[in-house]
Parts: sequence; C-alpha cells; structure tokens
Amino acid sequence: MGFDVTLGQYYETGSVIHRADPRAKLFFMLFFLIATFVAKDVYSFAFLTLVALISIIISKVPFRIVLKGLKPLFIIIAFTALLNVFWVKGQTLLVSFTVIPNFWRVDVYKEGLINAGLMTQRIVTLLAATSVYFSYATTPIALTDGLEKFFGPLKKIKVPVHEFAMMMTIALRFIPTLIDETSKIMNAQKARGADFSSGGLIKRAKALIPIIIPLFISAFRRAEELATAMECRCYRGGTGRTRMNELKMKFRDYVMFTLGALTLAGVILINVYANGYKI
Amino acid sequence: MSCIELKDIRYSYGKKTPYEICALDGVSLTVKENCITGIIGHTGSGKSTLIQMFNGLMKPDSGKVIIDGEDIWEKPKEIGKIRYKVGMVMQYPEYQLFAETVKDDIAYGPRNMGISEEEIVNRVAQSANFCGIPEDVLSKSPFDLSGGQKRRVALAGVMAMDPDILVLDEPAAGLDPRGRREILGGIKRYQSESKKSIVIVSHSMEDMAMYCDRIAVMSKGKLIMDGNCAEVFSQRELLLSAGLDVPEISNIIYALRNKGISVPADIYTVDGAVDAIVNYVRGNKNGI
Repeated sequence: MGFDVTLGQYYETGSVIHRADPRAKLFFMLFFLIATFVAKDVYSFAFLTLVALISIIISKVPFRIVLKGLKPLFIIIAFTALLNVFWVKGQTLLVSFTVIPNFWRVDVYKEGLINAGLMTQRIVTLLAATSVYFSYATTPIALTDGLEKFFGPLKKIKVPVHEFAMMMTIALRFIPTLIDETSKIMNAQKARGADFSSGGLIKRAKALIPIIIPLFISAFRRAEELATAMECRCYRGGTGRTRMNELKMKFRDYVMFTLGALTLAGVILINVYANGYKI
Repeated sequence: MSCIELKDIRYSYGKKTPYEICALDGVSLTVKENCITGIIGHTGSGKSTLIQMFNGLMKPDSGKVIIDGEDIWEKPKEIGKIRYKVGMVMQYPEYQLFAETVKDDIAYGPRNMGISEEEIVNRVAQSANFCGIPEDVLSKSPFDLSGGQKRRVALAGVMAMDPDILVLDEPAAGLDPRGRREILGGIKRYQSESKKSIVIVSHSMEDMAMYCDRIAVMSKGKLIMDGNCAEVFSQRELLLSAGLDVPEISNIIYALRNKGISVPADIYTVDGAVDAIVNYVRGNKNGI
C-alpha cells in the first residue's frame, strides 16, 4: 500500500503483556514515564533500558518490529541530540569552532555530549516501552476501554469520559480505513496521470487537491453513516450502557502494577545512592 | 493496437510481517487485442491486484509485465506513460471525483497528458456520449449527481484519455440491472467502434457471458482457466470448485442434459439456449 504505519499497530503473540488488563499497563507505563523523567544519570538509565528490554522480550514482539516503529522518529531524536550537543553549556570544554567569525561560535562541552546521550536514551526507551505496551501488545479497543475506566472517577466532576473514549475508539478504528482510502484514491488519480512527486512546492500542493477533496467527502460520508448506524442501535452516550467484556484486575495485573512501582522506586533509590540526592 | 503480456507474476502483501498474504502466485496471462477480456474470480482471488499490474500501479515481486513488446519496469521513471497507454477505472470510481464541474473532472486526465484545450473539448464530448452522460449534466457539480451518473462520469474521465487498453474493475458493481446494462452496453459499443482491448473484472457470470469475448478465471492467486466463453463456461466443475458460479442459463442446460435431453453443453447465453432448445424440439418432431 505504500504506507508503513508500524507505530500504533497491534502485533499478536499472546504473551502475558498482551493478556494483561489495560489498566495495569497504563499504571505500569505511568510509573515508567515518571521514572524516565526522574532518572538523572547513566546508572538509572541503564536500569530503565534493562526494564524496557525485558518488557520487549516478555512481550515476544521481535526487536526488528520495535525498531521499525521507531524509524520514523529518528529525525526528531537526532535533532534533539544535536541541540543538546551544541547548546548545553558546562564545565569541560571539548571543542570550540567558529561558524561565522565574531558572530557565531559553537562550543561543545562534555556535559552537552552526556546530556545528548541521555536524552536520546530517554526518548528511545520511552518510545520503545510505550509502543510495546500500548500498540503492539494492546488492541486499540482494549486501550480505550482501559482509559475509560482509568479516568472513570472524573465523571463525578462532569467530565464526559465515556464520550471521549468513544471518540478515541472511533478515531483509532478509522485510521487504517482512511489510509486505505487515501491509497485507493491516490492510485485512481495516478491512473489518470496525476504526478505527486515532481514540480515546485505550489505545483505539488495543487496536485494534492484531487486527493484531499474526495478523501474529505468520503470521511464525512462515513461519519454520517456511522452516526446513523449508531443511532439505529439506540446509542445515546455512556449512561446505562453495559459491556460485553468487563475489565477485571487479576493477580498478574497487580503484579504488573507492583513491578511498575518498583521500577520507579528503583530509579529513585539509584538517584539517592549514586548521586547523593536527598529525598 | 496494444496487448499486455504478463509473465510469471508474483506478489505478496505485508511482506515480512505475520500477516503476509500471497496475492499472485505465478500468473502468466496474455490480454489479446481488439476484444473484451473478462477476469473472474472469488473475492480475494487476486483479480484487483492483477489488474493493478497492468498499468504499473503495483510492481510485481517477480515476473515481467510486457506491453507492446516492452518490459514496463525497465525504465521505472517512464511508468507515467504506461498509465496513458493503459487506462484504469478502479472499483467504485465515483469516489475519486473532485472537480467543480463534471466537464472539468472528465478533462483532468487529458489535461495531465498535456493535450490542447480544443482537443480536450472534443474528447470530453465524445466520452460523455459513450458513457451516456447528457449534455446538461456536463456543467453540473459531480457531487449533485446520483451514484450511477457519478460512475459514468468517472468512466468517461478515463475514456477521455483515449488509452489503447482500458481496464475496468467491477464497473457495474452496486448498480441496478438497468444501470448495469447501460454501463456495460456503453463499454461494448465503445469497444466495437474503437477496436481497442478492454479488460473487465467482475463477479457476475451473466454479465461476463453477455459482454466478454474471452475469459480468464482466477482462484487463490493463480490463473486456473483462460479461453473463450464457451470453453470456460462448459467447465462447470472447475468453476464451481473455485467458488464461482456458472451463468443461470448454463445451469438450466446442465439440468436438461441430465434429464437426457441432448442439447450442446457449451451454451452460456439465453439466446443460445433458446436456439438450442428450439433445434432440439424441431429435431425431435422431424424424427417422429
């Protein structure tokens, strides 16, 4: 189809992580997320990388697939790393060179290099872990169900949690459909001699009109049809709606929750002992 | 006149993922010139993938696509020219309309080819005529038309490019019987006047029997039959085993033959069946 969307794609292996309750995964990732931002030095990052690696191994998702999912983000990661190398000031000056005399001088400090490395590590572990827990090992439906439950208490202060979750489910559900549609329309217009890859910026933007207009029209048509279909089945929001599969926390889900908490505790402890931070 | 030759085409979707599906498994097929070739097959048999090979929308994993004696993938940069030579109308083409007026939409293809405006006016009028689009519709917005009319506009848009070979994926899908007859009849008329090669993909055996000169049958990514209508529709068992049907009238002929009435087995149109039965009845009378 010409589109490779690996981030956000379910990959069935039937592992423990796949079967776990989405809420447990949400809590685990919440702890992991906080831990990556609390982490300050090489030791704690090594520990977090280890946790991420073990997660990937347990999920049985091949490393190749995980790396492929990270590929589109390579530019962002590289850019962040470069920013850190050139703009972080520190104590130990390594290289200094002049780009434009008397105007722009670039200093590279040892701290900048370390920072760049840690920043890259932070983004990569976080993305790898999130993609394993949330996209490869959790179906979008399970994820939004989990989110709905997770944010359930907010209903008390009149936040339309169910409606948000439903919107998210529908949006996720239609991503592949729309991608498919786009490639079909592109093919149809290519067959009529459309050329999307040559000419200047304006010519290329204009060449997109024959794709965008039919795509929007079909998206609106689908939205309307879906709304009608939902109304025909008496959908009227979350109140009084029951579920076919009730989420239930099992023993293994509490274990996952605990492991998440332990990861965070581990990072905090490393910070305390290795760097002498006070709690 | 042009013809397409496919040599041992293979293609898989989702390569190197757990969802890999082999869509084409060594298909060799020659599309003859100056006739209508039908491609039939069950859903998922690889028909749509196959025809996207014809104009280079898809590149085969292995095998060759030869048009007018030239391998189209030898010069990948000139694949655009192949698309002018092989016009393609995709499934449900009414969803590709975008222009402000029907006229502009039909003119989109020819304009991409760099044809002069006077010639475009000619071609728009001609192809609108073949597809049965009334003149007053030409200046309307394509989004104000009915589904069947939109389909015709999309078809006219490809015809206006005046390709040597016209490929249509399910041109009559989802239309009522009258709409089907009008669209397919228009295509047949276009073929007999222009003497071009046409390829039609369809599920409907009746339509195929009525409008095609040759038929290719796909099953599970393989080409299992290729011949004229009589040859293909007389092989009832093979068609049924591929999950396909034979035309209704062939079923009747089959039932008659089972009752010991000796009509020829290779009948696939209502007119042919009427003739055969009349002959049989007359023959019997003469015999008495």
